[in-house]
Amino acid sequence: MSAGVTSSEELRIDWKIQEDPDRMAAFQAHIDAKGLVEADDWMPHNYRVGMLRMAEHHANSEIVGALPEGEWITRAPSLRRKLALVAKVQDEVGHGQMLYRTSQDLGKSRDQMLRDLVTGKTRYHNVFNYPAPTWADVAMIQWLVDGAAILNQKSLAEGSYGPYVRTMKRINMEEAFHFKSGEDMVLTLMSGTKRQRQMAQEAFDRWWGPCLMFFGPPDRESTKTGPFMTWRIKTATNDTLREAYVDRFAPAARALGLNIHLARKNPDGLIAVKADGTPDKIEDPLIRLDESTGHWGFTQPDWDEFYRVIGGDGPCNKQRVALRRFSYEQGRWVRQAVMGCAGLPPSRN
Amino acid sequence: MSKIREQFQAGEGELASSPEADPKAYEVFIQLTRGQPHVHTGTVDAVDDKMALEYARKHYGRDQACVHMWVVAREAMISAGYGDDIIWPLTDQDYRLARGYAADVRRKWEQFRSKEDVDRYQKEDIKDAF
Repeated sequence: MSAGVTSSEELRIDWKIQEDPDRMAAFQAHIDAKGLVEADDWMPHNYRVGMLRMAEHHANSEIVGALPEGEWITRAPSLRRKLALVAKVQDEVGHGQMLYRTSQDLGKSRDQMLRDLVTGKTRYHNVFNYPAPTWADVAMIQWLVDGAAILNQKSLAEGSYGPYVRTMKRINMEEAFHFKSGEDMVLTLMSGTKRQRQMAQEAFDRWWGPCLMFFGPPDRESTKTGPFMTWRIKTATNDTLREAYVDRFAPAARALGLNIHLARKNPDGLIAVKADGTPDKIEDPLIRLDESTGHWGFTQPDWDEFYRVIGGDGPCNKQRVALRRFSYEQGRWVRQAVMGCAGLPPSRN
Repeated sequence: MSKIREQFQAGEGELASSPEADPKAYEVFIQLTRGQPHVHTGTVDAVDDKMALEYARKHYGRDQACVHMWVVAREAMISAGYGDDIIWPLTDQDYRLARGYAADVRRKWEQFRSKEDVDRYQKEDIKDAF
């Protein structure tokens, strides 16, 4: 069943491919009946590639996502927080392992995925291209970003690819710890001194926009949503998830005394400062509960910024990829030793 | 921040090293409590059995409390089922299931005993089997 290294040509979405109509009909019927697809089952080329792309992107995001928080392990404010952060970062890398494993069975080798990530051929989640300059950013990442991840992954756990769905369920159990520990940190800061509350507010201002972008571009601009929903690779649209996110987090943030701002960012990903020295931000005028719909209003994030950062021009893109590449290059002798290729005795088997 | 994060040399362009082979896949089955069945929980990549067991312990043993695990090389596993390979015959197999008899037996009992007596008598039935 080992798929081996497949050329990247074979791993492209191609809507011109004509699949066997009978097999396609049976496949679609199985999906429509809420059936799960297993690694050995027949599946359309574009389903395999779409699923692989999503799982690979997710795996990349897990291991790159460990980087901004990993920076804070040495500076955690207490032993308990340090233990929790080490465990959390370890969890993220473990999620990466599981998701790379799931992706391998869809036809791409792990080595090729790591190589593509560090040479910029594949991407990871946009949200990790932003900096975490204070401890409050660590708190906000665990509350707001992991909160967004849970919402997204709960919907992905309703998907159609069995190995990915089971991985999502495992991951969500651990995300629940990340989220609770994030809530604990945010609650601690917001019950603290004026300086702590201000630090939390500033971190919130940095993360609110990227978190709204977390769910991807608006549905009208999302090309993948349609076919991928038909196959249940995706089960909820970007805008639906974004709305659910705001409904949960906007009232919670306000209850804690956090204001939701529209903030302009400088190229370093920090809130820009006006000529008079004050931060360039205003309260989001649309944040309020719409009684008629039951949903909270909000201003759309800066989608130009989204496309710019995805395109590689974000505050931390280069730094994140460079660190992963450094780790891949420097780790080569370890991998070779492990594989028994470095003049060392071959492994026992 | 650690010095290494600020001071390393970042490479650019294509990697100098050639692609590497992935290790072997091992399937991991964990038992949550003694006496319960082992359940498939995931996969690890490893070069040999010893490494596979160590990875499985660290990876799947740490993030969920469990008491025992089986780790087996995927290439050593054999499988059957799905598609045209039908394991459970699709013919009517009521005769080999308790539920195939439940309604008939109930109706027949009630010709001999009162509903209440049958209810009391059937309390001992293994309901999960129906």
